[in-house]
Amino acid sequence: MSTKEESRGTLSSTDFGVAASAFILNWNTICSSFPQWTWVLSHHQVEGYLSLENILLSSTQEEHGELSFPGPGKHSHQEDPIDVDDATLVHINPCKVHYYDLHIIYCNSYRVPVLYFRAYDNDGEPLECDEIEKDLPAYSKKALSDSKWTFITQEEHPYLNRPWYKLHPCGTSEWMKLLFHADDDALAKTGVAIELYLVAWLSVVGLVVGLRIPFEMMKQL
Amino acid sequence: MASESIVVFAQFQSAVDEGFWHRFSSLKLNKLGIDDSPIPITGFYAPCSHPQVSNHLTLLAESLPSESNEQSSTAATSGGNRNRCPVPGILYNTNTIESFHALDKKSLLKAEAKKIWDDIHTGKAVEDSAVLSRFLLISFADLKKWTFHYWFAFPALVLDPPATLVDLRRASQYFSLEEAKSVSAACNEWRNSSLTADVPFFLVCVDPNSLATVKHIKDWETCQSDGNKLLFGFYDPCHLPNNPGWPLRNFLALISVRWNLKSVRFLCYRENRGFADLGLSLVGEALITVPQGRAAKTGNGLGWRDHQCLPNAVGWEQNKGRQVSRCISLAKSMDPTRLAISAADLNLKLMRWRALPSLNLNALSSMKCLLLGAGTLGCQVARMLMAWGVRKITLVDNGRVAMSNPLRQSLYTLDDCLNGGEYKATAAVKSLGRIFPAVDAEGVVMAIPMPGHPVPSQEEDNVLEDCRRLHDLVDSHDAVFLLTDTRESRWLPTLLCANTNKITITAALGFDSFLVMRHGAGPFSSNDERQRLGCYFCSDVVAPIDSTANRTLDQQCTVTRPGLAPIASALAVELLVGILHHPQGIFADGELANSSNSGSCEQPLGVLPHQIRGSLSQFSQMTLVGQSSNSCTACSSTVVSEYQERGMEFIIQAINHPTYLEDLTGLTELMKSASSFQLDWDNDDDDDDCIEI
Repeated sequence: MSTKEESRGTLSSTDFGVAASAFILNWNTICSSFPQWTWVLSHHQVEGYLSLENILLSSTQEEHGELSFPGPGKHSHQEDPIDVDDATLVHINPCKVHYYDLHIIYCNSYRVPVLYFRAYDNDGEPLECDEIEKDLPAYSKKALSDSKWTFITQEEHPYLNRPWYKLHPCGTSEWMKLLFHADDDALAKTGVAIELYLVAWLSVVGLVVGLRIPFEMMKQL
Repeated sequence: MASESIVVFAQFQSAVDEGFWHRFSSLKLNKLGIDDSPIPITGFYAPCSHPQVSNHLTLLAESLPSESNEQSSTAATSGGNRNRCPVPGILYNTNTIESFHALDKKSLLKAEAKKIWDDIHTGKAVEDSAVLSRFLLISFADLKKWTFHYWFAFPALVLDPPATLVDLRRASQYFSLEEAKSVSAACNEWRNSSLTADVPFFLVCVDPNSLATVKHIKDWETCQSDGNKLLFGFYDPCHLPNNPGWPLRNFLALISVRWNLKSVRFLCYRENRGFADLGLSLVGEALITVPQGRAAKTGNGLGWRDHQCLPNAVGWEQNKGRQVSRCISLAKSMDPTRLAISAADLNLKLMRWRALPSLNLNALSSMKCLLLGAGTLGCQVARMLMAWGVRKITLVDNGRVAMSNPLRQSLYTLDDCLNGGEYKATAAVKSLGRIFPAVDAEGVVMAIPMPGHPVPSQEEDNVLEDCRRLHDLVDSHDAVFLLTDTRESRWLPTLLCANTNKITITAALGFDSFLVMRHGAGPFSSNDERQRLGCYFCSDVVAPIDSTANRTLDQQCTVTRPGLAPIASALAVELLVGILHHPQGIFADGELANSSNSGSCEQPLGVLPHQIRGSLSQFSQMTLVGQSSNSCTACSSTVVSEYQERGMEFIIQAINHPTYLEDLTGLTELMKSASSFQLDWDNDDDDDDCIEI
């Protein structure tokens, strides 16, 4: 990674690829009991992104019951009795479960990684921003409201063409600059700046969505 | 035996990723149309991976056959993905909600059950065991409201009498330590090989030395040796400790038909964090007692082995214990209008977050703007307002779109000019709606009554009506833009705005110069005596007259340098935003650019001028301040109080006799006394040279 980029807190698209490979290796080794990150290629097979999907979060929110089923006249139709036999157990999950998908995608215009995420319940129905915020731990909510570097916006996913939430990248290079400048010489000597970029980046960004980086990974920074 | 109970299977649960609905909507809109023939789809599931939550049969975008012209969203789900075991299914989508409810669910279920039954008898299920979990989905996709009604069925062949459960316990309690280790290792190997990772039914063979191997179910014969423990394993999506998952139902049916076993030892394979978890997995023994007595009916002694004798089937998914379909609304993520709105809001919010924290987006979106004139200035002002988040816009214009208009008037295209031309007000509103569907725009086709254009008596009622209408329009809006093409047409609106103290912005164009200004507050707007800023007419020494008659053709036609209108319109809107964010609003003093006035540094949007005059020939621009004139024909207290007292009668009089206004305001006197001094009046009437657009 050129020192020029480093001093700006940004990284090139090739460096992102390098950083991502190192990150996956690191994570999957150190955090083998955690869900694993994978590298997904875009449909052009040229660009790719990091993906961590189906993270299960037991929500503390109550079952919303009727609210989960929008649509007019949903229960007004009298259904014919359907055959159910004694050998069928119908169980209802006691806790409301939310699933999260996280993608780390390189942004060409800001030259930094961006965290995209979405949440949905066990029916597959997407969650709204305010419902997601309820899932976040207290320190994330604080980070979101206090910091001028971090805010959640909803934009089209660059590859999946559907709206996903993302942490807007406009402040990223600013605070990455601070992180890297803190230990310039050390990094220059070890020459592992690129590899650690994503760990450093995720250690900040992850906080906002309540994703804690295991300590073992942070030790390298 | 009394202590035995039947095996109670936990029903499969469905989960549909919104990507599936997105893809399906696209398929329906682009390819299928009203074709409602069944569509083959693929579901995906994986063994349970969490002690408290069951896994689901999931539908993703990839579940649908690909459209030829659509880009595949992610890497193709090639075989061997351990988290996505493919299962064949079929989708029946109807075109109306009525036909959705009218579908014959019994026979649809029976048809799919028959496919499973056939696959069992032909041996296909042994080769490709995933077909045992074949499923059915019925749906109605409402592509206007972006809601999707759907219902899954997981057909299960009913054993009659049902299988009884002899034993069910945790796998770790069934196997010895050594066996458990070997079984785990063998299962992990099976799960890690891309050849077998997504094969959901298998055999576990444990030899007397506690060595376990996992095999394809088609290799059943090779596992038949004494001393070997044989278990029928399957990926179990269910997490419950006392119930096996749904796939076991058809597995038992297969085992009974193909190998005629009465006692079946099975392994409900479940995982944790990517590895076999024998604490979560279950091992059980089931007794199948499907009587051959059934043969009495068919007369061939085969019972279940009779291919022709299709057993009953169950499997429609219960919805929270009720037998109803499910419904999901994806309007927020699919309705283009909603997406446009949130994108527009995002843009403004970014401005606020990053650069201008005091930006008052609520004030902008709730402000009602009245645009008098839908020409070069009107079109540009409307667009700029929308860019700032203003949603309520009314345009007033009595003209039709002419062939030369689309070039300079940015809301119109050639289509609007055809057949004599659409009314500008109407065409403009349509155009705004095409740019941003959530705009609340209204068009009013109306002429503005003007002094100097006397009204014939038969027209008087119409003109009065127009005046009243204009009065009401001004009343019902928060800001008024005067964007017409003559000076005199601005008189009545100025008066009405002064009367109601509305924010008023005037833009006027010369050939290569422009004026953009905000009118001061009305004469009766506040109690203090401070000087008000002037209006467009305050510096006039003559009342507005007919400026269009007796002019040469080029002076009548709207001839200005094209760059002027966009510049002036943009400044007019920015001026409005400035007023909106100034603590004193319409009462704000006029500031000058580049002044050392400390007030300008406090306002985040910068200086708030009174007048901006610019020249393209110089590429220059300057700000000016003008105070109101007591003799103003439009905003002076004399004139406004006359209007308040006599209303329309006064207006008509002013329209028909322009010198009346001069008399009223004392301009006549002023002129008389001035000329009596024999001074050389520097005829400062560049306004007269302006031919406004």
